[in-house]
Amino acid sequence: MTTDSTKSSNAVTLDIDELIATLTINRPEARNAMSIEILDGMHAAVDQVAKSDASVLVITGAGRAFSAGMDLKAVLIELSGDPDLGEALLTSLARLTLKIRDLRQVTVASVNGAAIGGGCGLTCVCDVTVSHADAKLGFPEVDLGICPAVIAPWVVKKLGAGVARKAMLMGGVMSGQEAFEIGLVDELADDRDGLVELTQKIAQRLATGGPKALAATKHLLNELDGSLEEKMVLKGAKLSATVLATPEAQAALSARLKR
Amino acid sequence: MSEPTEAKKSLVKIELIDQVGVISLNRPDKRNAMVPAMLDQLNAAVLDTVTKAQALVLVGEGSVFCAGFDLKQCANDPSGELMRALLTGLSTCVRSMRAIEIPVVLGVRGAAVAGGCALLGGADVVIADEQAKLGYPVVKIGVSPAVSAAFMLASITPGAVRSRLIDTKLLSGIEAKQIGLVHETVDDPDGVRSRAIELANTLASKPGSGVRATKQWLNEICAPMSDRAQDGLDVSLSLTGSQEEQERLAALWR
Repeated sequence: MTTDSTKSSNAVTLDIDELIATLTINRPEARNAMSIEILDGMHAAVDQVAKSDASVLVITGAGRAFSAGMDLKAVLIELSGDPDLGEALLTSLARLTLKIRDLRQVTVASVNGAAIGGGCGLTCVCDVTVSHADAKLGFPEVDLGICPAVIAPWVVKKLGAGVARKAMLMGGVMSGQEAFEIGLVDELADDRDGLVELTQKIAQRLATGGPKALAATKHLLNELDGSLEEKMVLKGAKLSATVLATPEAQAALSARLKR
Repeated sequence: MSEPTEAKKSLVKIELIDQVGVISLNRPDKRNAMVPAMLDQLNAAVLDTVTKAQALVLVGEGSVFCAGFDLKQCANDPSGELMRALLTGLSTCVRSMRAIEIPVVLGVRGAAVAGGCALLGGADVVIADEQAKLGYPVVKIGVSPAVSAAFMLASITPGAVRSRLIDTKLLSGIEAKQIGLVHETVDDPDGVRSRAIELANTLASKPGSGVRATKQWLNEICAPMSDRAQDGLDVSLSLTGSQEEQERLAALWR
């Protein structure tokens, strides 16, 4: 058995155990919110998975959250002092989603806790999403006056446009159970402990597939549903950044952080 | 005292409740069956509301949201002119609902059949009472529901679109939710209107331009499908006045 633990950035850990790679977002004290540091770590880890012999990649979060979404401190200009940081983050997230989708490996999002906004969008990029009944998932961007444009193409592909439209326009968050009912989650465990077992079971089952057959199937599905077209996702980053920089959105974000 | 003639009556009711524009199809004695003037008024109301409200609700007066086209009038029009006006007007309304910047919540009470169900294609959020009847049973009268196809494909799965447009079966509100045609069901039909307004209020209360930008972006993502709306309308139009349609329409009152 070969175990290869990487610490290219300790904000993200990667563990490759034979056929199964596990990427853990590791900033539990920040609810694994996506900062530049975390995004850089994820890019590096995914690059490493692409070169590995693994057939399955599991993505999960350390602690109680999967990922609380974009790091609000980084996108609030009064705190970051850098009006370009929002677009840099969003573009990095956009490129990360494209990179994960294009992996030869089958990807599983194991949603251990809150998967919010961009964090929830990340689950939609994966091939299979597993979670538990009490997890919290959703797209509350509109509640903050912002627009989930980077992840919208992935949410539409995962849920179908009609269900995605309601989920993204109404905002808010839903339980793992509700997410399962609308197809955001594919398999549901009763609780957090059950999810660990379920994730392992599914990853092992997926790893029984022939790597070439899995890769060819994934590639075809990506071609059929337009997953390899970068244009919309990258354009989404620009749009999202534009809305993010408006005074209304900055005021709503500032109010949220002060709460 | 004389009743106003049908043409002069307001076939669509418009109310502004706080930040929400509520449009009601207003021909309750005919189960809100569509005539060309109703569709013209609906389209004008939709385009007008966008300047006055932050969200739009579309419901029907009375116990039925909409029974579809007024077929009795079509059966007396062998030229097919009336059917063409209805199909074109319907397509225009759905496209306007989808294109406007503000989100649209549609509430189905009782039934949304044929052209009535087609209106769902323009809505962002759809609710219905659990026992409501929904579907597109128009092939049996020799009419093609192709006019709805592009918007259906930009909403529910391709497999479900196929069976809904070809199979004349009506679904209950609960069944329609299972295929994603409806997002939420309400157990009491009397609660549909108030719940639709409540959802629209939630949408209207959100800050800044997030909702508008998100709706517009979703429209752009779905454009490869919804941009084909004209093709679907053309297919439906190509059958109007056909012998099959005329015979089947006439048979409805034989």
